[in-house]
Amino acid sequence: MSWWDDALHRATVEVILAGALGGLVGVQVVLRRLSFFTMALTHATFPGVVAASIIGVNLLIGGAVAGGIIALGVAALSRRRGQDAAAATGVLLSAGFALGAGLVATQSGFSRDLSSFLVGSILTVSTTDLATTAVVLAVVATVLLVCARPLLLVGFDRTGAQAAGLRTGAWDIVLLLTIEIVVVTVVPAVGTILALSLIVAPAAAARLWSDRLPVITAMAVVFGVGSGLVGLWVSSHWNVAAGASISLIATAVLAVSWLSSRLRWLPTQLRRIPASAAPAVPGRSDGGSSAAARPAVVTQ
Amino acid sequence: MDSALQYDGVSVGYHGTPVLTHVDLDLAAGQSLALVGPNGAGKSTLIKSVLGLVPVLGGTASVLGVSPAAARGLAGYVPQTDTLDADFPVSARQVVMMGRYREIGWWRPARAADRRAVAEALDRVGLADRAGHRFGTLSGGQRQRVLLARAIAAEPRLLLLDEPFNGVDAVSQEAIAGALRQLTAAGTALVLSTHDLAVARDLADLVCLVNGRQWAVGPPAETLTVAKLREAYGDRGVLVEL
Repeated sequence: MSWWDDALHRATVEVILAGALGGLVGVQVVLRRLSFFTMALTHATFPGVVAASIIGVNLLIGGAVAGGIIALGVAALSRRRGQDAAAATGVLLSAGFALGAGLVATQSGFSRDLSSFLVGSILTVSTTDLATTAVVLAVVATVLLVCARPLLLVGFDRTGAQAAGLRTGAWDIVLLLTIEIVVVTVVPAVGTILALSLIVAPAAAARLWSDRLPVITAMAVVFGVGSGLVGLWVSSHWNVAAGASISLIATAVLAVSWLSSRLRWLPTQLRRIPASAAPAVPGRSDGGSSAAARPAVVTQ
Repeated sequence: MDSALQYDGVSVGYHGTPVLTHVDLDLAAGQSLALVGPNGAGKSTLIKSVLGLVPVLGGTASVLGVSPAAARGLAGYVPQTDTLDADFPVSARQVVMMGRYREIGWWRPARAADRRAVAEALDRVGLADRAGHRFGTLSGGQRQRVLLARAIAAEPRLLLLDEPFNGVDAVSQEAIAGALRQLTAAGTALVLSTHDLAVARDLADLVCLVNGRQWAVGPPAETLTVAKLREAYGDRGVLVEL
């Protein structure tokens, strides 16, 4: 019996790979405020995975096609003036989920598998799943490294990027498709619906600890892998669904990071009130430097 | 020597609708041009047309000897700071390094010469001591200076600045003006938009008065007159102190 024949061994390797993948791409999701878009992607992937299962093709292909359509659709919507991209994304989100649920209902005896698409089924991952995740991790890491400068410039200064000759629309598609591939790849580990937590939570937590992109990226990967391993351990010891415990651990990491950032922020705010100026003027601090003390708030 | 910027009867606008018409400009190397006009006059649109981001609908336009579309990426650009994402985790030094990307290439690592150019550019705008600070933690004026340093690091022959003195404190204003004078002295052609007439008079060799169309172009003494300003700004009345 080889080491890979043990389901827990395979699950351990899968959470390490998926955690690293989620953390890596999550940094882009958080910096570009694409959490809501990623949420829509995860829901759109669901009907694709269900349809692939019904037809009998690889689930990743089904999810990738469905999510790819959504990714390109959102990219097109956001380029059009006067369109409320957030509203359209929201509608696509619930429509995708409804389509998946409808497809599930057409198949008798299918509902047991439903939860594995939604929240993952880490103990059933195959060595093929592991190989796929490993290859996708290598590809995504390479893409993010090679495209680091264009992605940084487009995210930070869109007009400046255009003036420098970059095709910002094309770079948006590169990023959206990268996110989509990650979403589809982590489905066996945490399912379509919980994929968001493994992508957004580690990066959002890391952002609260540092202002430096390499540090944020490294921390996001560590948080992602750590959440996966601790979640898997909790799952196997207390018989909790692995996808759920991984998501809850990732959320806990974010909550602790946020609390810690508030605790670090409070003393600097108190120090700001000089002892001599007893009645501090509310809402007025020393100009630009006030932003320095404020922790970065990650919003969608 | 070729003009840095030459516009003959140019109209610019979006989706086929002109925003600004009758633009005639001729800017040589080392000259500075101030675009003056009220909000919505088409100043930013004109700048973006030079950058190749807004189409030229009529007339002939030449930027650094070629069409604006062909010159895309060649001219330097300093955007208004509020168009940038202040939450982004980039240091002042990293922002200035962005100006070297064209020189380095998008994928190759930065060389010692690039790091030296970045340090010099930050020094030129008086922010050498803030290199490691996160861009979003700097004051509005300091952010504007970092963006100017980014443009300086790219060593462009033509530099366009969109309202570089908007919301800028006196110290930063002085630093920016000093750096701009150094640039023109070194032969860079400058185009800056402003609604501050004093800035236009102090910094520019040429002033272009715009409001939907070009109303006047020439040296500040000839263009920043009450009569010309009243013509460009309309009959709402112009209260100026020159």
